[in-house]
Amino acid sequence: MVPAEIIEFLSVLIYPGFIFIFTLAFFYEWVDRKFVARLQNRYGPLYAGPGGILQPFADFIKLLAKEDITPRAADKTTFRVTPILMLALALSTLFFIPTAYTTAVSWFEGDLIFVTFLVSILVLITLIAAWSSTSTFSTVGGIRVVLQMLGFEIPMTIVMVGPAIVSKTLSITNIALWQYTTGHYFAIYQPIGLIVLIICLLAEIKKAPFDIPEAESELAAGWITEFSGRKLALIRLTTDVELILAGALVTALFLGGPTGPFGIPSVIFFLIKTTGVILVISNLRALFARFRIDQMLGGFWKYLVPLALLQIILVTLGVG
Amino acid sequence: MDEERVIIPIGPQHPALKEPMNFMLKVEGEKVLEAIPNLGYNHRGIEKAATVRTYIQNLYLAERICGICSIAHVQCYAQGVEKLLEMEIPPRAQYVRLILSELNRLHSHLLWVGVAAHEIGFDTLFMYLWRDREIVMDTLELITGNRVSYGFTMLGGVRRDISPDMAARVKKEMKTVRDRTQYYKKMSSNERSILKRTQGVGILKPQDALALCACGPTLRASNIKWDVRREDPYLAYNEIPFNVVTSDGCDVLSRMIVHYDEVIEATNIIEYALDHMPSGSFREKVTRRIPAGEVVSRVEAPRGEDIHYIKSNGTDKPERFKVRAPTLGNIPAVCKMLSDSYIADVPIILAGIDPCFSCTDRVTFVKGEMGKGWIWTQEELRRYANRWYQQR
Repeated sequence: MVPAEIIEFLSVLIYPGFIFIFTLAFFYEWVDRKFVARLQNRYGPLYAGPGGILQPFADFIKLLAKEDITPRAADKTTFRVTPILMLALALSTLFFIPTAYTTAVSWFEGDLIFVTFLVSILVLITLIAAWSSTSTFSTVGGIRVVLQMLGFEIPMTIVMVGPAIVSKTLSITNIALWQYTTGHYFAIYQPIGLIVLIICLLAEIKKAPFDIPEAESELAAGWITEFSGRKLALIRLTTDVELILAGALVTALFLGGPTGPFGIPSVIFFLIKTTGVILVISNLRALFARFRIDQMLGGFWKYLVPLALLQIILVTLGVG
Repeated sequence: MDEERVIIPIGPQHPALKEPMNFMLKVEGEKVLEAIPNLGYNHRGIEKAATVRTYIQNLYLAERICGICSIAHVQCYAQGVEKLLEMEIPPRAQYVRLILSELNRLHSHLLWVGVAAHEIGFDTLFMYLWRDREIVMDTLELITGNRVSYGFTMLGGVRRDISPDMAARVKKEMKTVRDRTQYYKKMSSNERSILKRTQGVGILKPQDALALCACGPTLRASNIKWDVRREDPYLAYNEIPFNVVTSDGCDVLSRMIVHYDEVIEATNIIEYALDHMPSGSFREKVTRRIPAGEVVSRVEAPRGEDIHYIKSNGTDKPERFKVRAPTLGNIPAVCKMLSDSYIADVPIILAGIDPCFSCTDRVTFVKGEMGKGWIWTQEELRRYANRWYQQR
């Protein structure tokens, strides 16, 4: 009999822990890149593996082998630590959201609030990373990251509370399970919330039309400009993990999480649902021009915050 | 308030600029108060090079002034030399050159709208436009055998004829390009996120456009009906019906619309020209020595009015060759557009005049072996020139 500690350790390390998440991260980056490429009438990744499926992994390995430059003016320690910290934060956030099993790796009553907290910290770490590299492009990019957070954080938090009110629990795992057991899927009963959450998550993971902090034609690579080699590899992996995070969060809160009928393993349902969400996100990414930072903030406060409040009012009135 | 004013340098190396050019922006917060341009980062000495080459060799040099409006520059040069020779090229050659000029306009305009879409972060439109530009490039390759520098225009005509097979193929492609462009135009003038980034951005009022000598699509987007093809017809432009497209928005959006409309107009011109091509020879022999004299020739390049000045002393090499690329005419206008704009709009405003800074540079100041450069105002340059001539 294998001791319970070892099983737990393996579950963090392999499944549904690090190895599983990393594999999934590379896979979803490929899905995103390929889908956007096809929408834009390009081929996208093509050569590494069937249909270029190994391309994100190949990019990662390539970046690991590249020269790692630290600018002379940079705050060395912070500059070195922030990429690792970002990846760690993104991963630990994902541990509170059910992925492979119907329950998350770790969960407690109130982890919904903890996850929103971790998501904001992730954004703040981005600012620190940008600030520590001291280049003009990075600094402006970092400022834009935080400005953007002022826009999306409040509506996002508000709509995430919607499912919690109805299911009377503050645990993401329980919200997902509650939807499955009662058959009351919030995607149907709180559609406004779902839409607002997806738009906010687009801004959170900094994808077009909210790729303002890394606006290529204005800021080179924005807040990532000075990062190279291993640090850039970690940052890119973090972006991929954040993509899963977005997919998993929407899946858990509005689509019933990794649950489904017919005794099929729950991970299959998780994959289907998150892939669906990621395809929606990729589709939006190909559809719009980039907004200006003031237009983005104005739009979020003028439209998304009232919409989010409307959803909560509807929920408290018993609709949803 | 004065201490809040910061000067932000845009360029010479900047992600918004594809070519080296420097703008010093005086800003107050997010607002740009004034923009001061500095040219001279990519001086290639083309004018000097032209005086040590023969007129025929200069055809290839003129073509390489710009990689995109190559047909326009070589047409302008050849037209000037033919004027010195006091010759008319055969009518068929005029039509072939006209078709090429319009194909050149097509691919340049499609390229620009793509770049503009990229500047506002709409990469899907960028990819689609550049895919369709490929059709035009293939057509050019079909006719001339090359994709970028065509080596097609000769003194006294063109190198090859357009066969009926080619004409049929070109006409088919033009229909595709026109249909797609009409769709993009409809989409661009309705899509909210494009409108938000382009409407009311980079305003250039008609009177300013005139006062600052803007040219090309930039001028026409400020609702001024001016086109060299109409005002001073060259080639066979007076035999072909076409509209001079204008738009009254005076902003980046109307510049986009003007480009779309000119693409549609160009496809119509090409189809009409292919249908009405006169028969006959497409080339005439010319002498190698060009009679003495001087000439100014101008054509409507895709980016605006292109002016070449050629002075001949009766040998087979020009004594002086001067080029004014259209971008130079638009630089004062773009500085006007930049003042009173937001920093975030700078890339799209700069891209809005369809700049080609590397084609523009004619003068640079470098001190001998040290290789050190400096900047002179026009007044200082004038004073220096006067002094130099007095001492001579």
